[in-house]
This record gives sequence, C-alpha cells and structure tokens, in this order.
Amino acid sequence: MMIKRILAVIAVSILGVGAAFGAEIVKFGVQAPITGNYANEGQGIEKAVRLLAKQQNAKGGLLGHKIEVVVCDDEGKATQGALCARRLVNDGVFAVIGTYTSGAASAAQPIYARANVIQTSDGTAEMLTRRGYKTFFRNAPPNSAEAKFTAHYLVKIKHYSRIAVLSDHSSFSKGLGDATEAAVKRDGGHVIYRGYITAGSQNFMSVLTKIKSLKPDVIYFSGYYSDGGLLRAQQARLGIKAVFVGGDANQNTEFAKIAGSAARGTVIVNVPAPANLPYAEAKAFLADYKAAYGTAPPSIFTLTNADGMRAIMYAVEKTKSLNPDKVEDFLHHLRDFRGITGPLGFNKHGERLGSAFQAFEIQADGSYKTLYSE
Amino acid sequence: MELSTLLQQLVNGLTVGGIYALIALGYTMVYGILKLINFAHGDLAVLGAFIGLTVLGGQLGGGAPPAAWLVALAFIAAVLVVSLAGVALEFTAYRPLRHAHRLSAVVSALGASMFFENGMMLIWSPQTRVFPSHILPDITWHLGGVVLTFTQVLIVFSSLLLMLALYLYVNHTRFGTAIRAAAIDQDAARLMGINVNRVIISVFILGPALGAIGGLFIGIYYREAIFNMGWLYGLNAFIAAIIGGIGNIPGAMLGGLLLGLFNSLAAGYISSSWQEAITFGLLILILLVRPTGILGERVAEKV
Repeated sequence: MMIKRILAVIAVSILGVGAAFGAEIVKFGVQAPITGNYANEGQGIEKAVRLLAKQQNAKGGLLGHKIEVVVCDDEGKATQGALCARRLVNDGVFAVIGTYTSGAASAAQPIYARANVIQTSDGTAEMLTRRGYKTFFRNAPPNSAEAKFTAHYLVKIKHYSRIAVLSDHSSFSKGLGDATEAAVKRDGGHVIYRGYITAGSQNFMSVLTKIKSLKPDVIYFSGYYSDGGLLRAQQARLGIKAVFVGGDANQNTEFAKIAGSAARGTVIVNVPAPANLPYAEAKAFLADYKAAYGTAPPSIFTLTNADGMRAIMYAVEKTKSLNPDKVEDFLHHLRDFRGITGPLGFNKHGERLGSAFQAFEIQADGSYKTLYSE
Repeated sequence: MELSTLLQQLVNGLTVGGIYALIALGYTMVYGILKLINFAHGDLAVLGAFIGLTVLGGQLGGGAPPAAWLVALAFIAAVLVVSLAGVALEFTAYRPLRHAHRLSAVVSALGASMFFENGMMLIWSPQTRVFPSHILPDITWHLGGVVLTFTQVLIVFSSLLLMLALYLYVNHTRFGTAIRAAAIDQDAARLMGINVNRVIISVFILGPALGAIGGLFIGIYYREAIFNMGWLYGLNAFIAAIIGGIGNIPGAMLGGLLLGLFNSLAAGYISSSWQEAITFGLLILILLVRPTGILGERVAEKV
C-alpha cells in the first residue's frame, strides 16, 4: 500500500504535471517599453499577453497550471532591457514575451539563454537570430526580408530614381536602413542620401532641409513611428513633395495622430496591418481585444507578440511539458501553426517562417489601403 | 550649396534657438542667485507644455482652430501653474538646503526632476501626447525657396521680446537691482535691507514662467509632448546657458540662439548623425578657450 503510494507520487513527479497540481502557477514574463517613446507599443504587448493569459486560465490554465503575468518596463532601451531580463529570470518566469525594440531584445538575450528562459520578440534586427541562442524565437520577419521587399517596391514597381534613406541610431533602424540601401542598389536603384536622425529629438527640420536640396522622389525612413510621424509633418511643413515611405515600425495608430493632416498618402511597408488580416484567428483576437480594452491594438506588433505567446502555449500543450528544452525543440520544428498574423513557424535559428509583406497607404480617415503585396 | 537652403537652415536654427534661449534663462537666473544648477528646470518647461495641452485639449487631430482667447488662456494657465510649481520647488527642495553643502542641493535638484517627470507620467500618461493642429493661424510664406511659417515667426519674435523685457526688468527697475545685488552677495544685500527670500522667489517665478512659454512653444511647434522630454531640452538649454556664460542673462539669450543655429547648420552641412557629438564638441571647445562662456566675464556675479 505504502509502496504503491510512493510509486504514485514518483510517477506524478516524473510527469511533472497532472490535475492534482492544478493550483501551481506558471509565470510568463512581459518585457516591453511600458513608458517612454514607444509606450504605446509596450502597453499593447502587455494587454495582449494579459488577455491571452486570462483566456487560457478560463480554459483551466496551461497543463492545469494557472498563468501569472509578470511585467517589466524596459523603456525600449538596451540597458533597461538587460536589467529587466535579470529581474524576470529572478522572478522564475518560464517564458518572456517581448520586447518591442531590437536593442533591448538583444541585451536581454544572453541572460535568458543562460537561464534557459524562452524568449519571443518582434525585434527585427538580423543579429537576433544569428547568435545561436536556442531560447530565442522571432515572431516578426527579419530586416533582410523587409529590405528586399521595400527595394523591389521602390525600384521595380514604382520606378523611383532618387531615393533618400533615413534611420535613427538604434540597431534595428540602422540595420533596416543599411539593408534597404544595399537592396536598392542591388535592384539598380539610386540612393542619393543616407542619413540619421536622433530618435526623440523632435527637430528634424535641418536634415529635411538638406534632403530637400537634393530633390528626392522618395524619403524612406527605417525608424519608429514616434519619429516618423514628426518627420512626415515637418516634411509637409517644408513643402517637400517626395513620397514618404516608412518601415515596419511606423505601423502604429499614433503615426497618423502625430503627423496630423500630413499623414494622408504616407506609405508604410510591413506585414498586413491588424485590420487587414484575413484570418479567422485575427478576427477573433481583435474582437476579444476590443471587448477587453475598448480600443483596437496599436499595431501589428501587439499581434505578432500575441502569436509568440500562443505558439509557446501550443508547444507546451503538445509536448505536455514545461521543460524548456522540450518546448524549444518543438518550436524549432514548428510549421504552419495557425497564428493571428498568418501561418507561423520557426526554423532552427528561431527565425520566423511564413509571412508576406505589403505596401499600404494611410488614408484620410487613418485606415490603410493596400497598394502592393508580395 | 544653394542660398535658399542656407537661409532655411538659419530659420530652422533660430526657431529652436529661441526656445532654447527661453529655457536657458531659467537656468542662468537660478544659477546667478543660488549658484545652483536647477536640473528640474527642463521638466518645468515640459509641465508648461502639458498644462497648455490640457487647456487646448479636446480638439485633437484637426477640426476648427481653437479660439484666440483659448490659446491665450493656455499660455496664461501654463505660466501661472509652472510659476507656482517653481515656487513650490524652491520652498521644498532648495530652501531647506540653502546652507547645506552645494552637492546636497544638486542631488535635491535631480530628485525634483525625477519627481516632476514621474508626476507628469502619472497625470498625462507615459505615451506621446499630441497637440491639436492649427492652434496658431496656418499661414506659410514661401520666400524664394525658403519656407517660413507663422508659428516660427511668432516663436522667434516673442522669444526675443520676452528676453528683452526680462533684460530691461533686471537692469532698469528697483527690484531688478535687488536681484542683481542679491546675486553678487546675499549677506551684503540683506544688510542693505533687501528681502533676499523675496528676490529668490521672484527668480523662481520668472525663470519657470519663461520656461513654461518655451515648453508650450515646443508643443505647438512640434505638436507633441512626452513626459520625459524635459531632459533633452533641459540639457540643451543648460549647454546654451554655459556657452553664453552661466549667470548672465544676455549670455543665455545669445547661447540659446547660437546653439540653435549651430545645431541646425551642423545637421545640414556636416552630418546629422554627429549632431549631438558636434554640440558637445562645441561645449568642450568653449570651456577650453573661454571657461566662463562667451559673455561670462565675471562669472556668477550677474543674474
């Protein structure tokens, strides 16, 4: 009798799960810019994760464990990112969703890898998946894919001949700008200006005046929406006729608010915006999000991060395990998971597979009209 | 390089320079009288922007331009609230430490800066807040390739006017004389029957009031405000005050305008990537060649 009971305990312990331990919790960390220049994005990520956790808990939790969400604000900065990673690791998180900026994500990477904490981020800088951390999964497509599409659109589809490329100094923005510049050259395009702004500095009139004197057809900006909206407004103020094309980080509802009346006609290159996603999963998630928070998500990155969390939860359920090694292994072989942002999978480097880019234009009412898709 | 491009850069630079100068005046006056760098000053300017935003609010994203009286009210409210905050700051953060070690006051200033920054974050959210468009008449002049907006002209002229008014007040009124006297020697001024506390309070009204106007100009010109931008503008205004000679009122004006022009030309003709590095390079150069700043001969003896 006694032996039987001991064996039963051992068996349950080995399985590590089971309804008997339903009261236990599993912690999901959120590392995101809750304050600062990208607060809008960070809060979207936090809201998405809390929503998914609530829904999962209502279904009985993850393998019977209740999900608890722990949030750390990295302000989108690398130094803060490393501090957040240490804090979340100390908190005993199983996985971390976020962060929004590549700089903060890359600073956190080694800390999560050492602690064997799964990390999923929308950071698009190339190096994130090139460092060989098996804990890292990118839930958005990388810069190189976007640069290739952007160059094709600018040079082969629109036949712009004078292209100005602007970035900020972040690893994401600089990387995307460099990749786009190179891809434009490969496609036979002509980059007449390559320059930088300082994110958050507000005053871009000088750079734009310089660009104006070079008479560009198009100004391509690879930075974030908070600067992009202002650039666009100041471009209009200076009467520069060039088309403004923004990279993926300009896809945020705030862009149009900041740019004001100048927003109309701005072109953004990204995977489809939330409202333009055709998938049933997307429609369900958007409806739930709206019901919970009263607004639409600020950008597609709320949804890619939600997909990152959904993929991790799916992997846990499929492997019936909260062993990070098993979950990581499963994710590295995941193909065609039904994501909110479309079919989702990861290769052995943690690179996201399967998502197509679009070029869309901001309309007078702030909605997006697709101009060209892959 | 075309002439119109150069002229445009000068216009850009003067506009920002005017804003820097308005904020720099607050630094220089407080330094002149208390020998203290008021690190919370940039945040006070941002507070001005948020007060103005609150008054103007509710018309986000276009619509009819707000009435002139509403715009005036926004400026008045910003000036009043920020002056009050300035006086409160003096009473709580600086007065108790007036005879303490100078470093204590600096730490207190940094603490006050954090207090204001976080307070604004709690009240106005951590997100970028967008100002209504068309607060000021939407007039644009095209002068031979140079674009000039009504907002730019207003910023430059009202900054110059306010600075001139301050200069005249400090140099040609009885109370201004008291301010200058207290800046030279507080104890001697007290013996002459000057109420030094009142003088100090007046400096914490005048400086923040000008800073509030500068902050509101930032909000109107760039159409956005975020709780943590005080550091950026504070730093630039601080550099402007040093370049001009800290403690010197005309110096702060000159420093602000020069810094704006220099920033603008550096970004336009040298490299926008190195804009900030060039600014700091200029600061270092000036400190090496003329440690007291351009106009700062008798450093800290003028207000």
